[in-house]
Amino acid sequence: MLLKVENLQAQIDEKQILKGLNIEVKPGEVHAIMGPNGSGKSTFANVLAGRDDYEVTEGNVEFDGEDLLEMDPEERARKGVFLAFQYPVEIPGVSNKLFMQTAVNAVREEKGLPALDMFDFDEYAQAKIDLLGMSADLLERSVNVGFSGGEKKRNDIFQMALLEPKLCILDETDSGLDIDALRVVANGVNALRSEARSFIVVTHYQRLLDYIKPDHVHVLFNGKIVKSGGFELVHELEENGYDNIIQQYLGE
Amino acid sequence: MTTLSSSTWGNKPLAKKFAPVVKAAMEHYAQLTDDLNKITENPGLASLRETAKQQFLLQGFPTRRDEDWGYTKLTDFIQKPFRLEAGIHVTHNDIEAYLPDYPAVRIVMVDGWFSESLSDDLSGLPKGVTIESVCDVLETPELTDRVTHQEKQIEDEPFGVLNTMLLNDGYYLQVSRNVSMEMPIFVLHVQAQDHQVSNVRNRVLLEENAELTLVESFVSLNASESEFSGFTNVVTEIEVGQAARCKQVVLQALAPRSYYFNNQFIEQAENSVLNTLYAGIGGQTSRHQNHLKMNGKNIESSQNSACYAEDSQIMDSRTYTEHNEFNGVSRQLHKYVLSGQAVGVFDGMIKVAQAAQKTDGQMDNKNLLLSDSAQMDTKPKLEIYADDVKCSHGSATGQINRDQIFYLQARGIRKPQAIRMITEAFLLEPLETVSQPAIRDWLAGALSQKLNG
Repeated sequence: MLLKVENLQAQIDEKQILKGLNIEVKPGEVHAIMGPNGSGKSTFANVLAGRDDYEVTEGNVEFDGEDLLEMDPEERARKGVFLAFQYPVEIPGVSNKLFMQTAVNAVREEKGLPALDMFDFDEYAQAKIDLLGMSADLLERSVNVGFSGGEKKRNDIFQMALLEPKLCILDETDSGLDIDALRVVANGVNALRSEARSFIVVTHYQRLLDYIKPDHVHVLFNGKIVKSGGFELVHELEENGYDNIIQQYLGE
Repeated sequence: MTTLSSSTWGNKPLAKKFAPVVKAAMEHYAQLTDDLNKITENPGLASLRETAKQQFLLQGFPTRRDEDWGYTKLTDFIQKPFRLEAGIHVTHNDIEAYLPDYPAVRIVMVDGWFSESLSDDLSGLPKGVTIESVCDVLETPELTDRVTHQEKQIEDEPFGVLNTMLLNDGYYLQVSRNVSMEMPIFVLHVQAQDHQVSNVRNRVLLEENAELTLVESFVSLNASESEFSGFTNVVTEIEVGQAARCKQVVLQALAPRSYYFNNQFIEQAENSVLNTLYAGIGGQTSRHQNHLKMNGKNIESSQNSACYAEDSQIMDSRTYTEHNEFNGVSRQLHKYVLSGQAVGVFDGMIKVAQAAQKTDGQMDNKNLLLSDSAQMDTKPKLEIYADDVKCSHGSATGQINRDQIFYLQARGIRKPQAIRMITEAFLLEPLETVSQPAIRDWLAGALSQKLNG
C-alpha cells in the first residue's frame, strides 16, 4: 500500500471540513475524487501536502510505511508526495529554472544522489520537456509570472515530471482550462503513469477523467467518501449529477 | 522652486533656539569651515564656505519637527562630532577586496579626498573624457562654479549647506560631445578613519550625445570594528546633455555605525536618457536623494532603489522628479526589505509642469517586512499642472506571502531557503534596470551576501 488514510478529520478556522475520510491507494493506481463544491476535495489534497492552514484533528495517514502527518511539507515532497495546485502561485523574480533545479536537487539529496549542476540539469529538463511536448521558454521566466492559466497548470505538470514523485495529487488542475490546455495536462499525466506511480485526481468535472480513465472513482460529500466505484461511476454522475448519490447516502 | 526640503527649512528670518548638544555640534562644524578657510588660497571658495556657514548657523540641523526629517532622526549623529583631517595612508591591499570584478576605470576617494596613488592613471583616458580632482579644479578660482552650478538648490538642503561649508574635494568628470565612454568609471569612496567626515562634492557633465556608465561604491575599511563610525556627506551634480545617455549605480555598504547623506542634483536636456539605481545595505542612518529636473522634450529617466536594512538601521531613499517639457517618460521602482527594528523611509514626488503634456510618469514603492518590529514610512506624491498626462504612484508594504513559501516547500525546498529565495528575488527586482550584466551581477552579489549573511 502506498497511501492509507484512516478516519481523517481536519478543520480550518474551527470549521470541520473532513469528517472521517478513508481511502487506500496502491502503487500504480489512479484514483479520482469528485464531489460538489464545499465537499472537502481541495482540503483533502492540501492536507496530504501539508499546508498548515488546516488542522488535522483525528485520523492517520500512512505514506510508504511512514506517518505522513508528522512530516513538514518539504519532507513530504522529498519523499515523493507531489501536489499540483489548483492555483499555482506566482513568485516574481525567482527564475523557474533556478526553482526547479533547487527542487530537483532537494529530492535527489533525499535519495542520496549527487546534486545536478546547471549543465546536467539542462539536459535532464530537456528530456522532460521533450516527453511532455512543452515549450522550453517556460524555464526562462519567473515562476508562473505572466503565465496564462493553462501555462501555470502545464508548469506544475512539468514540475511533476522533473521530481518523479510516487504520489501525484492533482487539485482541480482542470479548472479554468480550455479543451486544448486540458488535453496537454491529461497527456502529461498519462505520460507519467507507471506501475510505481499513483495518482489522486481531484476534480469537479468528468472531462479530464475521460482522458485519464481512473481505476477508482470516489464521491466526496460533507467531508466523507459516500460512494466508490470504477470508471463507470463518472458517467453515472454525468447523467444524474450528485443528487441521487447524496440522497441515497442521506437516506441510509 | 520647491525642492524636497520642507517649507519649514529655508525661510525663517528669526533665529532658532537650539538645544545645547545641537548648538555644540553646529559650532563644531562651523569651526571646521574656519580651519579649512585658514589654509585656502582661493578667496572665492573661502567666501562661499563662509556664506554657507552663516546660513547653517541660523538654521541648524533639521529636527524631527521638520516634516522631511520626521522618520530620519539625527539624534545619535549630532552627538558624535566628526573630524576633518588629512587622509591617512591607505594601500592598494587595504582596498583590494572592494574593487569590482569587471574592467573599469578606477577612482578612489579616501575620507573624501581624491587619492591619486590609488586611482588609475587618468592621463590615459580616451579622448574626450576628463577626470580631475575637485581640489585641483578649485586651485583655479575661476573654475569654482564648475562644482557650484546648482548652488541655490544645494543649499536648500541641510546637508547641502554643510557640504558647501566643508567643500574641498571630490571628482570632476566630463565626457565630451559624441563621445561614448565604453568602460564603466568606478568610484570607490572609502571611509578609512574612525570619526572622520568624508565630505565629497562631485560634478558629472555629459555633453551632447555623450555616454557614460558610472558606478559608485561607498565602503568603510574598518567595518569589522563594531564601533567604527564615519560620516559621508556627498553632493553630486549631474548634467545630462542633449541626447546623452547616463547610467549610474550607487552601492552604499558602509559600516553599521556610519552615516551617509547623498544629494544628487540631476539636470537632463532633451532626448537624453538617465538610469540611476541606488542599493543601500549599510550605515546606521542613511539618506539618498535624487533631485531630478527633466528640462527638455522626449526625456527618459529611470530611478530605482533596492534597500535592505536590519537591526536598528534607518534607511531613507527619496526622489524629487520634475517633468518640465513635452513627452517625458519617468519610471521608478523602490524596494525595501526590513528586518529587526529597522526603519525604511521612502519619499517621492513627481511634479508635472504645465508645459509637460504627454508626460508618462510611474512611481512604485514596494516593501517587505521580515519582522513585526520593522517599520516602513512611505510618501509617494504627485503634483500635476498639465492636463494630458499619464501618471501613477503606488506603495505596498507587506510580509512574505505564505502561499509562496508553501509552494516552494511543496517542491521539497526547506522553509528557511524558501524564505531566502523569495526575499532575495523581491529585493533584486530593481536591478533588472541595470543593463550591463557584469555590474548587475556584482551588485546582486553584494545584496545577496548581505541578505544571507
